[in-house]
Amino acid sequence: MTLRAALDRLYLAAGAMAGLGLIAIAVLVLLSIITRLLGLYVPGLTVYAGYAMATSSFLALAYTFGQGGHIRVSLFIEKFSGRRRRAAELWCLAVGTFLAGYLAWYAVKMVRVSHMLGDISEGADATPLWIPQIGMAVGAVLLALALADRLLSVALGAPIAAKKTAPDDIHPEDSVGE
Amino acid sequence: MENLLLTVVFLAVLFFLLGSGVWVGLSLLGVALVGMELFTSRPSGDAMATTIWSASSSWTLTALPLFIWMGEILFRTRLSEDLFKGLSPWLGGLPGRLLHVNVAGCALFAAISGSSAATVATVGKMSIPELRRRGYPESMIIGTLAGAGTLGLLIPPSIILIVYGVTVNESIAGLFMAGVFPGIMLALLFMAYIVLRAVARPEAMPPRELATGFVQKVRDSFSLLPVILLILAVLGSIYAGVATATEAAVLGVVGALVISLFQKSLTKDSFIESLMGATRTSCMIALILAGADFLSLAMGFTGLPRNLAAWIGSLELTPLALIAALTVFYIILGCFLDGISAVVLTMAVVEPMVRQAGIDMLWFGIFLVIVVEMAQITPPVGFNLFVLQGMTHHEIPFIAKAALPMFAIMVLAVVLVVTFPEIATWLPAQMRSSP
Repeated sequence: MTLRAALDRLYLAAGAMAGLGLIAIAVLVLLSIITRLLGLYVPGLTVYAGYAMATSSFLALAYTFGQGGHIRVSLFIEKFSGRRRRAAELWCLAVGTFLAGYLAWYAVKMVRVSHMLGDISEGADATPLWIPQIGMAVGAVLLALALADRLLSVALGAPIAAKKTAPDDIHPEDSVGE
Repeated sequence: MENLLLTVVFLAVLFFLLGSGVWVGLSLLGVALVGMELFTSRPSGDAMATTIWSASSSWTLTALPLFIWMGEILFRTRLSEDLFKGLSPWLGGLPGRLLHVNVAGCALFAAISGSSAATVATVGKMSIPELRRRGYPESMIIGTLAGAGTLGLLIPPSIILIVYGVTVNESIAGLFMAGVFPGIMLALLFMAYIVLRAVARPEAMPPRELATGFVQKVRDSFSLLPVILLILAVLGSIYAGVATATEAAVLGVVGALVISLFQKSLTKDSFIESLMGATRTSCMIALILAGADFLSLAMGFTGLPRNLAAWIGSLELTPLALIAALTVFYIILGCFLDGISAVVLTMAVVEPMVRQAGIDMLWFGIFLVIVVEMAQITPPVGFNLFVLQGMTHHEIPFIAKAALPMFAIMVLAVVLVVTFPEIATWLPAQMRSSP
């Protein structure tokens, strides 16, 4: 397997995990409703749903980036073409790589510090915090990796993804909140 | 003096990063980082990580992916056909006839989906070809669709109201209820406009089709029943206070899965597509929210929002003047940014201002959504326009012109909501007072 294929598979696998995270949120919320209706009290179900939320959001970052799912203001750079468009894209990717790298660095540090200090959740679940925080750290690292990967590809001459025009079959997920 | 410098630096970095095309969530992170490094002595990175962690893992936020998923599932059912078939027999008798299907269809789909572009796409998929075939004026077909699509964000569930609620710490259930009547009001205004146009120029509208009997009408709209029941269950459980927004959302997901199972549109592929679509959208929003959380923290450390609020307070503007100024501000901002980014980006500064002026935050959320939505049907960045361009292959200026009357109607809606705030605040107040 080439490096390219391996990286793409890595992003996709994290995306799939994020999808499972979303299912986990639904199941946890359902469980909390059912146990409440039955008059049982299971501590921490809502807190776990929150952890699943963070894990799902972060693990999906690189995959969503690859699918062009993160929004940007393309109003001005769309006016460029050729070398200037390429330069603009390199700038965005370089800044993006730096910022995602910064986020990744401190997300990993947070997990290490939580582990070292033995931080415990303030909720009823009393989970050691470093465990759920791993998802955020891994996701942030993958995003930084995906951006660096793309930066390198574009610098080496890979084509820039065509500007996003509205396709015939519009996907609602591309346009929520618009 | 230092405030002025701060403001200039924040704005300059922000506009440069956003304008040069850096992804919105990362841009916000970058602005916050610059602000922290230049103007405070706090350790930026650690504060950033813990802030983002606690905001991203909040229970309130889980309503977001669940409602998105619910819309994604129903988007992949036969709903588009059912909406047209089910609504047209009832509306054919009104002046303007089947054009009303655009508005009513959007209003109904808006109660399932939190996105206006998805609303336009779903309703338009069926109604554009059907209305064209019957000879309705093209500009009316497109204009009403562009306008009514904005109901997607006003009528609950609304993604942007969840984002707003999480950002300013207001009850999402309350916000949803506050959106119900303004949404219905806006739909009625759109319909009134269609009636007026039809009465003024009856020759432009095609003749009425054969009216069907009542029994046949009921039979035609029977396929809409499960969806209507689902809407009533989701919103009703929130209103009655038996479910939080998150719990109602999971009810919606289960209901949507059951409906699509019975319609036989639930396959392994459609399930995975809806799941991954929802995952991508929530991830996109989560990144913006993460950036905005860090930005709020950074701005809080610098004291800028507090000082700005105090400054605005010292101007002794009436709340009305403040609202008028904010309206203009958001319409301009909306020309460059999508709705969610515009809201999270500004809340750190605008929230203290608005609270200081004594404005009800539930009401302000509704006002904000209408104003931000107006920007979605105006160029250069109006997403509803892009969706319609993809579906009809008209040029953007033509679509924008067709949507212009709808923009005027939304201005009227803002005026009404400002004049009679009870349109938004009455229903949530009823909900709170119920035991």
